[in-house]
Amino acid sequence: MNNMIIQTHSLSKTYSSGKLETPALQGISMDVPAGSFSCIIGPSGHGKSTLMHLIGGLDRATFGDVIIDGVKIAGLNDSELSDLRASKLGFVFQFFNLLKNLTAAENIETAMMFSANAPKGAKAQRVRALELLAMVGLEEKADAKPSELSGGQQQRVSIARALANDPDILLMDEPTGNLDSQSEKEVLDQLFKIHKDGKTIVIVTHSSELAAQAEIVYEIKDGRLNDVIRKGGTNE
Amino acid sequence: MNMFTLVLRNISRRKGRFIFTLLGIVIGMAAFVALLSLGGGMRAEINDQARAMGANIIVTPADWCTFDQISIFTGESLPASLQEEVLDQVRELDGIFAVPYLTQMSAIQNVPVAVIGIDPEPMKEFSRWEIADGQYFESSEQHGAVLGAATAETFDLGVGDEVRFRGEVFPVIGVLESVGSIDDIAVYLPLPVAQVAFEQEGFISYIGVQVEHLDQTDAYVAAILDVANVAVNTNDQLLETVMGMLGSIEVTLQAIAGISLIAAAFGIINTMMTAIYERRREIGILRSIGSTRADIFKIFLLESGLYGLLGGILGSVVGVLISVFAAPTLLASFDQMMKGASPEASIEPMTFVFAIVFAIVIAVASGIYPAWKAAGLSPVEAISYE
Repeated sequence: MNNMIIQTHSLSKTYSSGKLETPALQGISMDVPAGSFSCIIGPSGHGKSTLMHLIGGLDRATFGDVIIDGVKIAGLNDSELSDLRASKLGFVFQFFNLLKNLTAAENIETAMMFSANAPKGAKAQRVRALELLAMVGLEEKADAKPSELSGGQQQRVSIARALANDPDILLMDEPTGNLDSQSEKEVLDQLFKIHKDGKTIVIVTHSSELAAQAEIVYEIKDGRLNDVIRKGGTNE
Repeated sequence: MNMFTLVLRNISRRKGRFIFTLLGIVIGMAAFVALLSLGGGMRAEINDQARAMGANIIVTPADWCTFDQISIFTGESLPASLQEEVLDQVRELDGIFAVPYLTQMSAIQNVPVAVIGIDPEPMKEFSRWEIADGQYFESSEQHGAVLGAATAETFDLGVGDEVRFRGEVFPVIGVLESVGSIDDIAVYLPLPVAQVAFEQEGFISYIGVQVEHLDQTDAYVAAILDVANVAVNTNDQLLETVMGMLGSIEVTLQAIAGISLIAAAFGIINTMMTAIYERRREIGILRSIGSTRADIFKIFLLESGLYGLLGGILGSVVGVLISVFAAPTLLASFDQMMKGASPEASIEPMTFVFAIVFAIVIAVASGIYPAWKAAGLSPVEAISYE
């Protein structure tokens, strides 16, 4: 299918420690349409995060391939892979992963340091950072350090950072897993808004409520793709 | 946002560690710069002393060691093993103006002082001395002492006072004008009087020679060697020997400073390695938002380089301050060796530049391994680090 922005073919990952080999993912083949809102669900320790890391090029597969917008990432060197992460992908993590010594605006600007897509010059980058903070409703927190923000606010900054270079894909690992229900609602509202703007969103989650709102749900069990549920009740 | 700002923010987050690591470099560079400056000062002082000496050639006993020869510049007691007849043989040569020295150590008010037996009239001309107070020797047999300007001032002595050497009392008959060399810090007796007082009849320590034609110095040296069994050194050769020895001392001192710099370098390595473990997650975050291994390498190397830049600048400033303000204390033994000379630190702008560049090179070199380790971290392992 031509509109698949993420594809994996027989994707496997085995962790080795001395003679001990632990398979984390085995033969995952999946297609994620451009502009879709997908969730990856499954029990803890069954390979969901590993799959997201492989899709995001943060780790290398033992076997198989990931294709992002037509580019096979297995063939990319470190610089090309980093460029892909900087321009095509945005990451949001469960524990926010903001740089503690930088302000909210600076965290967003840091993401622009490494992308060719980013606005050039400190002034333009600051304008872009403030725009993104306004989009997530935190324009007044531009100069606040992460320690001065609530969990929900930190996660919204983290979403703003993920959008800094206007990527096509947002990969999120339990983005609401560390938030109270009010913050969770704020973050999800934000995600739906971003999805409406045409971004492809892939979320690793344990939340059945969130998964229920996804267009496609990929269920991972024992490192294998156990089920794919498409909105409307179609199972594969 | 740029790498430099990112590095500054990282450093500012760990001020205590930054300051202590920086101190290592500052101390090492300060020692290095101070030693270079003080060494330069000592060289300049020795050069001045050698120039002020007035002799183009020094005739010494054939068996003198290097230390004896160097002591000519420093006013130490010298062995009197050159027979006085040699002076006559040298004086007979054409184009040569020779004066004898019998240099002995004694003390005034329990402070060591060089007492030099001289041939009064030729010496006055040889060294271009002027009398500041009292009178000069009227004959070679006169039982009296003429003081160098600094000696008179140091011991508060003047015409009419007395000095005592080997139990013998010598009235002070005159004080010389200051000439800005070791001549200022000695006591002069006529040679025959000194030979008797120090029981060195018929002997002198060495002969200072001025030649008529400087461009024929080698020929004069050959002529002296033809007529006497002596060692002949040109002033430049002696100076070269002294400088060579000083160079060895400087190298030793700089090696010690170098060791402190190596310790500082390990301090940087330790700080940066610790930083890698503490900042694993941060490295992972930077990798996830698109930084390459090279970017991580640059960030850590820049941080190390900043230690070098700041450490180099601060260390150089501290080193210069030490060499300027602490020089009198640090060079006390050198002052004593030079018998009252007052060497000052020689601060060359290039020393400053060299020190800063050197500090940066050391810091960057120290940062290569930690930076390489940081760049080699797997993004997923780094981001998952708790």
